[in-house]
Amino acid sequence: MSNAARTNWLRELIRKPFFWGVIAIFALLALNVLKDPNYLAITVNPVNGNLVGNVIDILRASAPILMIAVGMSLVIATGGIDLSVGSVMAVSGAVAMVFMKDAGQSGSVGVALGAIGLALLVSALLGAINGVLVAYIGLQPFISTLIMMLAGRGIAKVITEGQNTSATNDPFRWIANGFVIGLPVVFLLAIAIVIVVGLVVRRSALGLMIEAIGINPKASRMAGIKPSGLLLTVYILSAVLAGVAGIMSVGTVMTVDVSRTGYQMELDAILAVVIGGTSLAGGKFSIGGAVVGALLIATLDKTIVFLGISSSATPAFKAIVIVVLCLLQSDRVRSWFVQRRKPPQLRPESLPAKPKQEVAA
Amino acid sequence: MSVQRRFTKFLGLAAVGALTVGLAACSSSGGSGDNADAGDLTTVGFVAVGPEGAWREANEKNIQETFTEDAGFELKYAPATNLDQKSQIDAFTSFVDEGVDVILLSATEASGWEDSLARAQEAEIPVILLDRGIDPDDPSLYITRIAPDNVEVASAVGDWAVEQFPDGGNYITLEGPAGVGVVNERNEGWDSAVDGSDLVEVAAQTANWSAEEGKSVTETLLKANNNNIQLIFAQNDEMGLGAAQAVEEAGLTPGVDVKIATIDGTLAAMEALADGQLSFVHEYNPLFGETALDVVNKTLAGESVESYIIVPSEAFDSAEAAQAVLADRQY
Repeated sequence: MSNAARTNWLRELIRKPFFWGVIAIFALLALNVLKDPNYLAITVNPVNGNLVGNVIDILRASAPILMIAVGMSLVIATGGIDLSVGSVMAVSGAVAMVFMKDAGQSGSVGVALGAIGLALLVSALLGAINGVLVAYIGLQPFISTLIMMLAGRGIAKVITEGQNTSATNDPFRWIANGFVIGLPVVFLLAIAIVIVVGLVVRRSALGLMIEAIGINPKASRMAGIKPSGLLLTVYILSAVLAGVAGIMSVGTVMTVDVSRTGYQMELDAILAVVIGGTSLAGGKFSIGGAVVGALLIATLDKTIVFLGISSSATPAFKAIVIVVLCLLQSDRVRSWFVQRRKPPQLRPESLPAKPKQEVAA
Repeated sequence: MSVQRRFTKFLGLAAVGALTVGLAACSSSGGSGDNADAGDLTTVGFVAVGPEGAWREANEKNIQETFTEDAGFELKYAPATNLDQKSQIDAFTSFVDEGVDVILLSATEASGWEDSLARAQEAEIPVILLDRGIDPDDPSLYITRIAPDNVEVASAVGDWAVEQFPDGGNYITLEGPAGVGVVNERNEGWDSAVDGSDLVEVAAQTANWSAEEGKSVTETLLKANNNNIQLIFAQNDEMGLGAAQAVEEAGLTPGVDVKIATIDGTLAAMEALADGQLSFVHEYNPLFGETALDVVNKTLAGESVESYIIVPSEAFDSAEAAQAVLADRQY
């Protein structure tokens, strides 16, 4: 009886789309441990009591990706796509840096808050333009956000007068580099934001309505949902989250690099969403999946450096990992294996045992 | 059926997307001034790299300030869209079609320029390479290349490193994007100087010229080697400055536990050198607008010039040396 329950639980878990993403994270970590048995070790810095370790670095690196992946998963659920997140990151970073450079006062919390507020406001404005183009004008999301992706980087260049701008402000720097109870602020902040967004969309009907738009906008309107307002909200939310990601990203080195900050991050975000099991066709989303996807991408990036894979082979290595992952997720590919395994059909208990071994491996 | 329809829809979208990108590239190349009746002004098409860092900014500003209308030139400035070679080739082609008098080219990537250059040659438009070289290097395709010598600069950094670490040590290299001519040349110069010494390269990774990635890569490489790294060779200032922050966060002291050497010599790097964050900065002189002007005039007058003109650069190996030039650093 309990055995059967466990079987079901396991089956359920394997069927979760982000299950293979979790497996991939563990596989990558295992690969790193093979290279260095101390890879997972976390030590405490004797000077300031902060936790130090590769895993902590991964958590820190994942924070900006987490932000944009969550925003992206909501946009994709409506059947759209937001290609502008990387550029919005650059704009947000540029606004914050220029504001702090002009304001001076490197210790002032007020200046940091002002910079963050202004950066998020500008991001929201860009998101609103996306949203209006999609929801009210009726342009394809692909096109509207592509325009914003090209324009955004231009805007960032205008704001910084084409220069990479640095500033000093300790409270702002703390967001990206600081620690609270030994853990990096940036990760705690990202997780807190993810939880809030997750609760809001899943505890209310908002999530269902967003998915309804993605499944069939006409039918959802007839069912009494107003797609336009919701679409606008979703695009603004995505841009604000991208703005937060931009702040985290430029905060690490306190420099905005107009051509590099957030460069191609939209692809990382889409990848994270897909790895998390959200279909690009729209109609459903999984915040948990996006979190797994974002963590996987950060782990992958760090693994490439840790293993010392040569720069020229990096894209190929990344591609292989992601293709294998997508193959594992594909129902059709999995069904081949299931069919091959089925014929003996002697002991049903042997089935759950196998995947469990894989988990352990 | 619906799948097929969705697919065609997607194809359409992709096509429109590609078109939009193409259009954007065109508009950025031709936007700087379309007055065809420029009178006796010499039109110069500048296929540039665009925002990449302080060095590039100083370089391109210097070129723009040299080829002014007062000097008898109309400069058409076409920066690449996000360092994309495709957008550069588009800009280059449209300059050839337009029939400008001279083309200045700073290629984002070394390879793949043969066809474009041959086309310019057919149209009898002289091409002068600024800073970045091409690969394979065929001097018959262009007039001259004006650049500080990357190999020479990098080998000077290498010589300094060998001198600093007579007993050897572990070092990591932070490279620019794989495949860029500058990266290959800086590697070549460094390797030629370091070969035969006791220095051991424990890792070489790209950080894409960016401070953020420089920090992230260094952080991981320090952990991968249990902080047993004595030297970091950053192929540009930004990556070196990022690395310095990572070194500090790992609880080490830049300049004492880990020495960082960079190439470029931008103001930020000079400040960091004066602060002791960096240990060695080799300038890579961006201010060669005058030389370029001279070459353009000579070329248009039909005189021949050397196929490679080296711009002299200085090395700074101490806080004092940096302090001395800090006040009147232009970039």
